Amino acid sequence: MGHGRYIDPVTAGAPGKLYTVRAGEVLNLEFVVLPGESRDIHLTVDLVAPGAEAHIKALYLSRAGEKVNFHILMHHRAPGCRSTQLIKGIAGGEARVTFGGTIVVAPDAQQTEAYQENHNIVLSEQARVDTCPQLEIYADDVKCSHGATVGALNPDELFYMRSRGIPEQEARTLQMLSFLSPVIPEGREAEVEAAVRSL
Amino acid sequence: MAEDQKIIEQFTSGEYKEGFVTDVEQELIPKGLNEDIVRLISERKQEPSWLLEFRLKAFRAWERMPQPDWAHLDMPEIDFQDIIYYAAPKKDKDRPKEIDPKLAETFDKLGIPLKERDVLAGVVAVDAVFDSVSVTTTFRKTLAEKGIIFCSFSEAVKEHPDLVQKYLASVVPVTDNYFAALNSAVFSDGSFCYIPKGVRCPMELSSYFRINARGTGQFERTLIVADEGSYVSYMEGCTAPMRDEQQLHAAVVEIIVEKDADVKYSTVQNWYPGDVDGKGGILNLVTKRGICKGDGAHLSWTQVETGSAITWKYPSTILKGDFSSSEFYSVAVTNNHQQADTGTKMVHLGRGTKSRIVSKGISAGVSQNSYRGLVRMGPNAQNARNYSQCDSLLIGSRCGAHTFPVIESLNPTATVEHEATTSKISEDQLFYCNQRGIGPEEAVGLIVNGYAREVLSRLPMEFAVEAQKLLQVSLEGSVG
Repeated sequence: MGHGRYIDPVTAGAPGKLYTVRAGEVLNLEFVVLPGESRDIHLTVDLVAPGAEAHIKALYLSRAGEKVNFHILMHHRAPGCRSTQLIKGIAGGEARVTFGGTIVVAPDAQQTEAYQENHNIVLSEQARVDTCPQLEIYADDVKCSHGATVGALNPDELFYMRSRGIPEQEARTLQMLSFLSPVIPEGREAEVEAAVRSL
Repeated sequence: MAEDQKIIEQFTSGEYKEGFVTDVEQELIPKGLNEDIVRLISERKQEPSWLLEFRLKAFRAWERMPQPDWAHLDMPEIDFQDIIYYAAPKKDKDRPKEIDPKLAETFDKLGIPLKERDVLAGVVAVDAVFDSVSVTTTFRKTLAEKGIIFCSFSEAVKEHPDLVQKYLASVVPVTDNYFAALNSAVFSDGSFCYIPKGVRCPMELSSYFRINARGTGQFERTLIVADEGSYVSYMEGCTAPMRDEQQLHAAVVEIIVEKDADVKYSTVQNWYPGDVDGKGGILNLVTKRGICKGDGAHLSWTQVETGSAITWKYPSTILKGDFSSSEFYSVAVTNNHQQADTGTKMVHLGRGTKSRIVSKGISAGVSQNSYRGLVRMGPNAQNARNYSQCDSLLIGSRCGAHTFPVIESLNPTATVEHEATTSKISEDQLFYCNQRGIGPEEAVGLIVNGYAREVLSRLPMEFAVEAQKLLQVSLEGSVG
């Protein structure tokens, strides 16, 4: 049979690490995957009561044969919950990055606000990024959106900076840092900058 | 709130206007599917042996394939042995010069003028397919002067076997998927169109499909070939009578776009969607694919999907030629118990290829509406570019809207963007219209039309009117 109707994804699938967020609780998750590290981030967030909130920020940097997988399920079980996801990263070398993110809004989970964004920069020929952002919505009074992009560093920006005397390598670093800045956790700026320079 | 509810109820209770049955004598073959049936169809159509071989190969492949299950659909069990695979209106041995008046009436009711003198200044050439056979094709002479071939598929097999053999199944191989294999085995008729080098087709070409007979399936095959530097705009429309049983429609459309050619393919799909309780309706399981074979080729898909109990359809483009481009514009409306799983695939192979996807879903009642898409940037797709936008509009709290895009990038210079939003008609929007003297019904109509405008404006004139009417029909009588 097909899957045309709502099925509770938390009990139906392999949820990975499960976070249950109750009324009035706010879950904040931050991930940083630095070069040289292969990671499987597999998690499910279950917003079970009105007013629950979840915010996920993730950053990855890969320069060799790393494998980075994101598998995130955001389940809005109750009405009036809010969630945001922002996953950004840069893939170089032979890195293989996959992002699978699903937002499920259960029937009657009205007044849901759910946003998901996944942006990727690919630096090398051999790197590969596959992204699969999904929305499954069974309620009508919702605000949901997702966005995903895969692309290279913008050559116009690069040209602009170089025309103003910024060396190419430095300009590229600046571009990457500004791209990543929304997802760099507080206190880890130096560490991330060093990693970006190493790409 | 109560008023909202009323509008929603009325929106979802729009009636199907094309639900009549035409009483013509039918020539049917026995129910069921086996090699003998495939041979029988081929024999009835007096086909050459290569085509019979093609069918048998497809049938043998189909037998070994499992029915796919990945779509976001509650698919009923299809009993393939309970379907009549060929139905033709009975007629004299010689192909009649004039079409059966009953048939003419049917197509008149549908607003398809078959008699050439009725066609306004000759802007559209029509190939009409009734159950399993192509009934008539208009304007063949005018088109032939330009070297354009536009005829039914069976005629093409007889008159242009070299072209058909060259291009048939070159875009959708027989083993491509379950329903394409089934179609390849039992396809009955369809349209064939060839535009020679450098010719700009002077009128819109159009096919109309109608399922009339009970217990039959329709399996049509469309093949469009646009040779170098040519242009054609092609339209397709479909309707079926109201019946309690579900009927199967499994079509294959193949489009070949050579160097610098431009093809615009538009569909208004209005198969019978089933009644309010989800009884009956057409299972619309269609494979449509085009290839931008040469450099600078362009293929544009525009579809308005309002009918069918189940829609399973992904018009796709393979961007093989360098700097070729493709677009996909879609409006899918689902009501009551309708289910739609539709979208597109853009496979970028050549350098500098570009694609754009704009998909607008509208779900009402207890329907489920999904967008499913793939954008793949191949390793040689230097500087390729894709932009996708998928919006869903929800009307009523018991329907569902889903988005399943897949993005695969194997080239660092390629850029892919995907954006999706889901929302409902907000009370603010309705309030704004109301306080400016626009009634609730008009307001919903206005908002839905505005929402779908980007796609509707892409349709050829003749179709845009029809599509807008279709949307209006759904909204008719919804004054609160």
